[in-house]
Amino acid sequence: MRRTSSALLLPLVAAVVLATALVAGAAASSATSVQITTPKSGSTVHLGANPYTAVAGTVSFAAATPQATRFYLRRDDCGGSNDNPHLSVVNGTDAGDGCGLVLTSVVGLGGDVDHGAFVDFPSTDGMPLAFDSGQNVTGTIDLESLAGAGTGLLEVDVSMEALDHGNGVTIGSDSESVLITPLAADYPVAFTIQPNPALAGHDLSGIDLRVHVHGPFVFSGFIGNSGKSWTDVPSYAASVNQAVQVSLDDASFSSPIPARISGSSWSVAIPTPAVGKHTLYAESTQGFDTSAPASTTFTVKK
Amino acid sequence: MKRLIALAIFALALGSAGSAGATAAHKPIYMPNAKNMQNPALQPPPVCCVPVGPPVAGEPAPVNMAYFGGHVQVTPKIYLVFWGWGQAGAFDHTTPGMPANDPDGAAQRMTNFVKAMGGTDWAGVSTQYYETDNGQNVYIQNPSNVYGGVWYDDTNPIHDNVSGLELAQEAQRAVAHFGVTDLHNSQFVIAQPQKFNEAGFNGGVGYCAWHDYTQPQYYPGVQAGISFTNMPYVLNMGASCGQNSVNTGYYTGRLDGFTIVMGHEIEETITDPGAEDVINGQNLGGWYDYAAYENGDKCAWVGYTFGLTNPSTVPGGLNNITGNDGKQYPVQSLWSNNSAAGAGYCAGNGNDLPTG
Repeated sequence: MRRTSSALLLPLVAAVVLATALVAGAAASSATSVQITTPKSGSTVHLGANPYTAVAGTVSFAAATPQATRFYLRRDDCGGSNDNPHLSVVNGTDAGDGCGLVLTSVVGLGGDVDHGAFVDFPSTDGMPLAFDSGQNVTGTIDLESLAGAGTGLLEVDVSMEALDHGNGVTIGSDSESVLITPLAADYPVAFTIQPNPALAGHDLSGIDLRVHVHGPFVFSGFIGNSGKSWTDVPSYAASVNQAVQVSLDDASFSSPIPARISGSSWSVAIPTPAVGKHTLYAESTQGFDTSAPASTTFTVKK
Repeated sequence: MKRLIALAIFALALGSAGSAGATAAHKPIYMPNAKNMQNPALQPPPVCCVPVGPPVAGEPAPVNMAYFGGHVQVTPKIYLVFWGWGQAGAFDHTTPGMPANDPDGAAQRMTNFVKAMGGTDWAGVSTQYYETDNGQNVYIQNPSNVYGGVWYDDTNPIHDNVSGLELAQEAQRAVAHFGVTDLHNSQFVIAQPQKFNEAGFNGGVGYCAWHDYTQPQYYPGVQAGISFTNMPYVLNMGASCGQNSVNTGYYTGRLDGFTIVMGHEIEETITDPGAEDVINGQNLGGWYDYAAYENGDKCAWVGYTFGLTNPSTVPGGLNNITGNDGKQYPVQSLWSNNSAAGAGYCAGNGNDLPTG
């Protein structure tokens, strides 16, 4: 009976181990990978003749192709506790579309209705984003149902902020005006933001679009959702921040040595370690992504 | 003794505010959130004489502080304990590029602040206060390094609605972890992650944090004489606990509350580590006024109007200070008996009352 149980149990354990390995493999999967070609595994280095040991290998990174990432301005509710204005790379019908006040009064020519009411749309997906500051951020804020507004100018201020390594950093801002009339019901307001060049190539953890609508003729309008308002953020398909580093006898890379990358190759010279057997590790990083480590074992002799 | 009786009567009259303290007769020193500054349940019991009403919202609480005979932290060391931040379920989100045990960067911000606050003008406000040892006044110092250490404790399990007693027990574990022997000059900030917070904070009592001092009758089984702070994940309370109160950018100001609230508690603990305790007739308290407001309480949320105006434009209002690392940290001001020609005012934020 006991043997039968063990026989049943072993495949089960094996299945669990296999499943765990698959999950771990999936979690560790990376768009970048690295190999060590020199020194070859099992090779010998003579310390007297080689005070430095050449280390080299190959590396691959995901292509950092310039592109634009479109984020839609979305809302989940109509001014309720679950309103949740946010940016998403996924478009769809918003439960909060068609409601929600921008401002609530009219002061007429010469005045400026401004209750300091702005709306933040922080990103909830699409991150990390490899930012390309060489192109402008563009977009459209669709304003609707400006009932009772009369005829006059309405101001739309947009500003974008990045979450860059835990810090808020301004990307840029723009102010646009639009002439509103009692007859029209829909005002798509295009905007363009010149990005902060200091963010060139940075891997962003989040972006926030702040929209502030004000002016003398604003009345009970709202920002259209369900794909009508959006922003295109210049980016790269993958991070431009690429690196290879090696570590001697330390798989945790506590004292990493950076390598020089040339195309799909990398190289570095390290001081030849003491006589004995050593393990050399290498890993590549692309933005927040780190490859599985490669390793090779070699022996140092006098 | 009168003070102890007064404490007991006051606490019994009000009932226990949440489960913050270990006994119904004891209350720690709360920092009310910005919407509860005038909530009587969160006011400290007055020391004597004529009870004083709560301060006007957004304004300092006047009259100078006095010395009540207890010790102060002359050479303060601040120990940070991030309890359970790496435990499963501690956060409901991740952020690309940020550690899984600190997805909003709050722990890093608090650590950076403690490392950077030493030697600043803000921390220097407390150097006018002292303890009296053998008839000599020994003044609080403002060294550049007040950072004692940091401990990410994922060994001792935390849970949601943790009690004040459990926080005190964690503080005791921190004393052992860091090998601290000088309790008089040491304080322990027990910081909780997003999803595991102290019961009173979760329960809407209306405070952002509190500090206290362990005594056997209040925290049974815990070593006496530990100054510790209950530091919940104040971002859960949003603007009420300071989010975007100084820095308006969505991300730039998101963590404002952490340094404002923790700074309040740290400086209160430096000037009143005994947390106004009176034990067997002996006053363990350091500096506070006769309404029992400490240096942080008296200047909490000054100038804050929930974004309608910039608080830094008000003397003593919330503002950024420059740390000794050159970076900006939002804090509240601290009561200075020396300000306003000795009448006292909130100071240290770079927007003090004009002098001369």
